[in-house]
Amino acid sequence: MMSTMNQLLIALFAVVLAPAVGALLQGIDRRINARMQSRVGPPLLQPVYDVLKLLGKEGVILNRTQVLYAWIHLAFLMLATVLLVLGQDMIMTLLVVAVSTIALILGGMCVRSPYSRIGSSREIMQMLSYEPILVLLVIGIFMTNGSFMARDISLAGKPLLLTLPLIFLAFLLVTAIKLKKSPFDLATSHHGHQEIVKGITIEYAGPYLAILEVAHWYETALVFLVLAAFWATNWVVGISLAIIAFVIEILFDNLCARLTYQWMLAHMWTVGLGLSVTNLVWLYWK
Amino acid sequence: MVTWLLLLLIAGPILFGFGILLAPGRDVRVGLTLTAAGVTAAAALYLSRWGPAYGGIFVPAHGLPILLDWLMIAAVIAIGWTSRHTPVLIMGVVQACIGLVLEFHPRAPQAAPQPEFLFDQLSLMLVLITSVVGALVLVYAIGYMDRHEHHGPHSQASQGQFFFFLTAFLGAMNGLVLANDLRWLSAFWEATTLCSYFLIGHDRTPEANQSARRAIIINVFGGMILQAGWLVSVLNGNGDSLIAFNQAQALIPVAFLVVAALTKSAQLPFQSWLLGAMLAPTPVSALLHSSTMVNAGVYLVMRMAPGFGGTRLATVIAMAGAFTFMATSALAVGQSNGKKVLAYSTIANLGLIITCAGMSTPLGYAAAFLLIVFHAITKGLLFICMGTIEQAIGSRDIEDMHGLMNKMPFTTVIAIVGMVAMLMPPFGVLLGKWIALESAVYLPVVMLLVILGSALTVVFWSKWLGRIVTVSYHQKYEMEDLPPVMSGSMLTLGIATLLSGFLAYPLFENFIKPLARVLYPLSSRTDASWKMLEMTESFMTWPIYALAILLVGSLLLTLMAVDENRLRKPFLCGENISDSALSYEFRSIMDRGEVAMMRSYYFSSIFGEENVSAWANPVAVALILSLFGVIAI
Repeated sequence: MMSTMNQLLIALFAVVLAPAVGALLQGIDRRINARMQSRVGPPLLQPVYDVLKLLGKEGVILNRTQVLYAWIHLAFLMLATVLLVLGQDMIMTLLVVAVSTIALILGGMCVRSPYSRIGSSREIMQMLSYEPILVLLVIGIFMTNGSFMARDISLAGKPLLLTLPLIFLAFLLVTAIKLKKSPFDLATSHHGHQEIVKGITIEYAGPYLAILEVAHWYETALVFLVLAAFWATNWVVGISLAIIAFVIEILFDNLCARLTYQWMLAHMWTVGLGLSVTNLVWLYWK
Repeated sequence: MVTWLLLLLIAGPILFGFGILLAPGRDVRVGLTLTAAGVTAAAALYLSRWGPAYGGIFVPAHGLPILLDWLMIAAVIAIGWTSRHTPVLIMGVVQACIGLVLEFHPRAPQAAPQPEFLFDQLSLMLVLITSVVGALVLVYAIGYMDRHEHHGPHSQASQGQFFFFLTAFLGAMNGLVLANDLRWLSAFWEATTLCSYFLIGHDRTPEANQSARRAIIINVFGGMILQAGWLVSVLNGNGDSLIAFNQAQALIPVAFLVVAALTKSAQLPFQSWLLGAMLAPTPVSALLHSSTMVNAGVYLVMRMAPGFGGTRLATVIAMAGAFTFMATSALAVGQSNGKKVLAYSTIANLGLIITCAGMSTPLGYAAAFLLIVFHAITKGLLFICMGTIEQAIGSRDIEDMHGLMNKMPFTTVIAIVGMVAMLMPPFGVLLGKWIALESAVYLPVVMLLVILGSALTVVFWSKWLGRIVTVSYHQKYEMEDLPPVMSGSMLTLGIATLLSGFLAYPLFENFIKPLARVLYPLSSRTDASWKMLEMTESFMTWPIYALAILLVGSLLLTLMAVDENRLRKPFLCGENISDSALSYEFRSIMDRGEVAMMRSYYFSSIFGEENVSAWANPVAVALILSLFGVIAI
């Protein structure tokens, strides 16, 4: 067991490093996206510049509780990051992430803007579609390692990708939702193709929007970490795996157009859950 | 000392109830009700000091329970006769016949004398819930019923009668959770059925009568099943004691008792009576849903857990519970009637408790224990909030609760606390769900149902929360005017809910672990579960505090950001009408004022009651039949 001091240091390190990784990933994301569309693209650190600019603006709000939800959203994502790097219980980590998403939803619902309400309602549907798959992922890991603790991720001695190939595919679908990629960018699309632009965050501005942007860095880093964990026995391979997965996501982002949340829910509960359950059946029969 | 305290907790409320019934005026009645609430709650809290005195309690009064039993059966027959309710009448007569056989059939000699009552961690916890949460509901009802008398239907029964049944209910419930001997158990079981019948029918409107009839038919059916189980056990020589069933793993009586428990806890397909009960005055719903009645069912399943532990019967019980959890969570998604959402959520949570008890592992048992405690506190709170809201806005529809924060900030904030406690860590219900998920891992089908159900619960809670957290930008709060008995009990339960997250650890230490050690002696499969139990507990320390600190920290950061000049109106794709009272009114085509509103999704074509019941009820019936199937084959 690590000493408390060590744990504290690791936690601090993760809290600082995770957003840096997330910001960098988003910068790379934009560059690759631009290249796919035959553009040059922004500088690598553009996400950081964006946030710095937002921080300098006047903080306009519709009501005070809005700010509270933004902070809770960020704080719970930070806690989830800490829980994961300290190797804590993965189901609890999922629940903590869920709370942060609910805070975001309430942030969109606490104002009287129909646009952010639409965004929030769509975000609820997104949660409904990916949350079961995430829990099944953790169950799959448990069936492989016999432990819910993140620190035992490589206990079985072989990469998770080999025991959970179908769950990995299902997780790629979840990743697309989490990274707000087409066709799963229903709640907060950057573009007009989902009928509303930036639905859930539409009433956030200036520094408060910056809080949400930083939170999204954490989210991106978390997703990347989980992708890499599919090959946790060798982190070089793991990180390469995560990078490949990211590029696939970006490719699909450029290939797919809009769709409805009904389509998403139906497909996540059939294709996504079907893949995960099939994979679990193998593990239970072992 | 313990015996006297327990006697006070059972007989006290019933005697006070008679006093209330005979009270000459309002003041005496209110005084007696407050005293009854105070005495019951105080006695229960004082009782918790006597924890180490756990064990069986012998009460040498064999005639009394039999007398009570016959009184209850007579009451059921009388109700069936006077209200021309043939099924109830028939079932009452069947109960009387079973009662006669039970009276005269010789008992097989038992190895050891069986105590009439059983006082252990489980019954102590349920007595605490009944007496403390129940007492708070009682206090709340004083204020509520005064308003109800003025605004409710004219046909309603007297307040004296209402408070008699409400108070006596607490005594009957305390007796039920303490009874070990089936003579006592079935007497109290029927007593709660009768109390709920009169409380649900209080308004005496045609709808109320119909709901009351439905409640009594289902619950008398449950009582009949309970007696049938008792009869089977006597014929098989298993005796009259719950402990003896458990020790002998007498599966047939246990299965009967579990079905009786499912009716009481309104599990599918018996859910209709609890939904009908929504028509009653809200304190009745609060009492039925949180501290009494439905708890009786899950309590009995938890009490019998060692009796079916590790058998195939246990797996089917877990499956039935998990199926109810999933199906009723789906039903709750499709409802915009707030009381119905609460009702379905209650049934879902009870289903989850039954699932956990059916897993027959210490970890599952711990989850069931946590859920029963936290659900009672939180649901009691939510129901009394709902009643206050309904009396104020005259509607139960969630969509009508738009902008509630401006009209009644006190109630709304407390309701938000309750909903957050149902949904988020560090509060107990979510802790229970988390442990339930982890302990379900050995039962794949159950696990899948629990996962889907949990995802659905998030949907309906966040929809509702999103509706009531809406605040307009010009915040003009008008504090609502509530009688102190109502606001006081709401505040007390609200604070209890807020603090309950920190209760999880002491609950584990003082109640769950010692009890689980007795109920689940180490075996190879439970060995892993024990390890998980220890790990879960170690988690309760720092992350829970970290969560709480983060919540408070976010609140403080928000308070620092307050600046009146930065408040704006929402973006509506058109110019906001600046002098409008509604911040969401904008100029549309030809300068016409237009209001921008957005309803939540309800998906009634998928989650509507008819659609879901069409497949859920047959599956539930099949599962109940399977309870007997797995024993027979």
